[in-house]
Amino acid sequence: MRTTIVIGAGLSGLMGALALAEAGLRPLLLAKGQGATHWTAGTIDVWGVDEHSPRDALRALSEAHPHHPYALIGVQAVEEAIARFRALTEAARYPYTGGLESNVLLPTAAGALRPATLLPITMAAGDVRLGGEVLIAGFRELRDFYPPFIAANLAAQGIAARGVYLTVPPAFHRREYTAVTFARMFDDPAFRSDIGRQLRAQRGNASRIGLPAVLGLRDPLGVVVHLQNESGAQVFEIPTLPPSVPGMRLFALFQNAIEQAGGRLQIGSEVIRGEGQNRRLTTVWSEAAARQQEHRVERALLATGGIAGGGIRTDHAGIVRETALDLPVRAPANRAGWFAPRFLDPQGHAMYRSGVATDAYLRPLGADGEVVYENVAVAGATLAGTDTVRERSRSGVSLATGWAAGRILAGSMS
Amino acid sequence: MTIIPEDHIEQSLEQSLDHCIKCNICMAACPVSAVTDLFPGPKYVGPQAQRFRHERQPSPDESVDYCSGCRVCNEVCPTGVRIAELNARARARMVAERGIPLRNRLISRSGLVGRLGAGPHAPLANALLSFKPLRTVIERTLGIAREAPLPAFSRYTFRSWFRRRHTPQATGGTPKRQVVYFHGCSANYYEPRIGKTVVAVLEHNGFEVLLPRQRCCGLPLLSNGDFAAARRAHEENVASLAPYALRNVPIVGASTSCTLTLKEEAPELLGMQSDPVRAVAQQTYDIFEFLRMLHDRGELRTDFRPIERTLPYHPPCQLRAHRIGRPALDVLELVPGLRLIETHASCCGIAGTYGLKVEKYRIGMDVGAPLFETVRRSGADMALCDSETCRWQISHGAGVIARHPIEILAEAYGLVI
Repeated sequence: MRTTIVIGAGLSGLMGALALAEAGLRPLLLAKGQGATHWTAGTIDVWGVDEHSPRDALRALSEAHPHHPYALIGVQAVEEAIARFRALTEAARYPYTGGLESNVLLPTAAGALRPATLLPITMAAGDVRLGGEVLIAGFRELRDFYPPFIAANLAAQGIAARGVYLTVPPAFHRREYTAVTFARMFDDPAFRSDIGRQLRAQRGNASRIGLPAVLGLRDPLGVVVHLQNESGAQVFEIPTLPPSVPGMRLFALFQNAIEQAGGRLQIGSEVIRGEGQNRRLTTVWSEAAARQQEHRVERALLATGGIAGGGIRTDHAGIVRETALDLPVRAPANRAGWFAPRFLDPQGHAMYRSGVATDAYLRPLGADGEVVYENVAVAGATLAGTDTVRERSRSGVSLATGWAAGRILAGSMS
Repeated sequence: MTIIPEDHIEQSLEQSLDHCIKCNICMAACPVSAVTDLFPGPKYVGPQAQRFRHERQPSPDESVDYCSGCRVCNEVCPTGVRIAELNARARARMVAERGIPLRNRLISRSGLVGRLGAGPHAPLANALLSFKPLRTVIERTLGIAREAPLPAFSRYTFRSWFRRRHTPQATGGTPKRQVVYFHGCSANYYEPRIGKTVVAVLEHNGFEVLLPRQRCCGLPLLSNGDFAAARRAHEENVASLAPYALRNVPIVGASTSCTLTLKEEAPELLGMQSDPVRAVAQQTYDIFEFLRMLHDRGELRTDFRPIERTLPYHPPCQLRAHRIGRPALDVLELVPGLRLIETHASCCGIAGTYGLKVEKYRIGMDVGAPLFETVRRSGADMALCDSETCRWQISHGAGVIARHPIEILAEAYGLVI
């Protein structure tokens, strides 16, 4: 029987499940659906508020905001999580570059610039500080990715850029296209050869070519190399709207690594309640056909996300609840306290910092400051004390706390 | 379509539309829209088209008929939209408006087909159905693809074997715990060995196996949109099974689609909510779900012989729709030496009767292609899968024997079937 339970299949749940599986605990990961991986850009954003290096920012945070999740687990734990993540992606031939020394500035599908701490190597040539002229290329068939619009916005920020549309070869015509349709087409050498030739013809003086992040699901690094050889320029991916192909790649490589290490993923099974005694969680139940499935619990990692991910729910009366285990949530006492008067208030909104408060072992705390369950650790967007939107830290917090929570539950971190 | 009074499920389906955030995760996962333009994808056909479906107005969208009903969309949806149920009900409305084609009427009646073909005359029926010119005629006249994998009828039915066999004598002392076996059409008419294996495994674990009257679970009728006939089937099954369920006698099946239908599909799609219907649903178990529960309670015999084999295992869509994990893997992990590799293919493509239809056969084979490739690459000469139609499709597509995992378990127990 699998009694090490991970709840949630986003980045934090996957990192935690990997840590637990590698510790030999054969975790069972339960999730309502496919997780936040499919919604995100695929970069790891540790800290992007200011010009500090993320490492300096994390050190400063430990002093100024001791209840921030990064401060709770410490900079060392963040470094360890990043090291494990990089090794994981390298082993899967989908390596991530970057590090805590400095962020890289990447163009978005709106032509804005955003900082990223770790990025798949398929996005590395997108760093706008590399200079030179950039060609942005896309397809009319792929909605929400408009090369002329992206190029114009980049040009307005002083980056020489030109936007062009490519043609889908007739043999690949479909009635409907999503990012995934294109990713499957890029897996086909015939398709990418054709695209590579079009890129060469359109390249002009550009030294770098930005394409939507749809460059294959099987071997994206191979696709990028192929396109670079055909086009004669460096090629990079720009994240699209969901479904995120880079996120799907991450999900697949985590699933493989977790299962290889003895873990199991059960997607489509929402955990709806838990029960415990003497400050230990003993049982959780997941939704299933005809009757709930009961899972005995030795240790559990809660990583169900925040309001967006469904881990925390609010209602019209202003009640804020944690949905899986009904843990106490630290949130403003009433709705009037949720938001600052101004939408872009520099202090952010109090509601965004709500979530489950924990001690330094990521164990959930009640209003009285007492540990609710000693055998539960909380990770990711469910945690209180971080405004990940303002900090640009969502994936970083998820990666680091997910790993730390898994290591803590496995007894391998003090 | 008749309106079911106080249909809570219809209400919950309607409400679930509002949970769709258009994230397209279902579109990324759908195995059918990945291979054909005839099905635009779960988001369009499910929560979006549903906005335009109203009583007394014509159905806006015929492409819903190309939904295979595999439920991968439900599995991956992060917000809990019940897309497959929306599609099944939309198809039933189309059938109610236009009538059900003869072909679908025939292939959805697996009990009737089974009764016609199984028995001493089975070799003749099988010879006819493997005679290529006849299959071509059937394809032209009925629309059943000539290459599609049809199972061979058995010379005897499982029920006739069960009636005739020498029942193991009670060894005295405490009365045995009872369990009802829901064999389904496949074990009865095509693969009695599966039924015999299930009985042997349950008896090995000290159960008395009961075999009340039963008929087809009705899933083929549901997936072909014939809700009226499906309702009759479920009413008959509930009438026969409820007396046991109400006494807390578990109902166990080895066909994942039959057990899913008793648990959820029939009650939910047909809006049947009576106490007997609920009792049957709550007492129904997939065989490995049941064995896993026994093991969790320390009641499963684990006198296994080692089996030094590594085999690919495909958890069928209908099992994944139970949302109970991988019970066959959990139990077979206990067998020394046996190593099962999960395929991670979304669907084999047959989806019950979907891949038999001439206009959908190619789609089904394309859907199954990644699975066939995985099975072939494994190098194993056998694949495991809990669902019969999927096993036939895997054998057809990958060219290897496909077995029910219960057969490996029986082998590990050393049971002779």
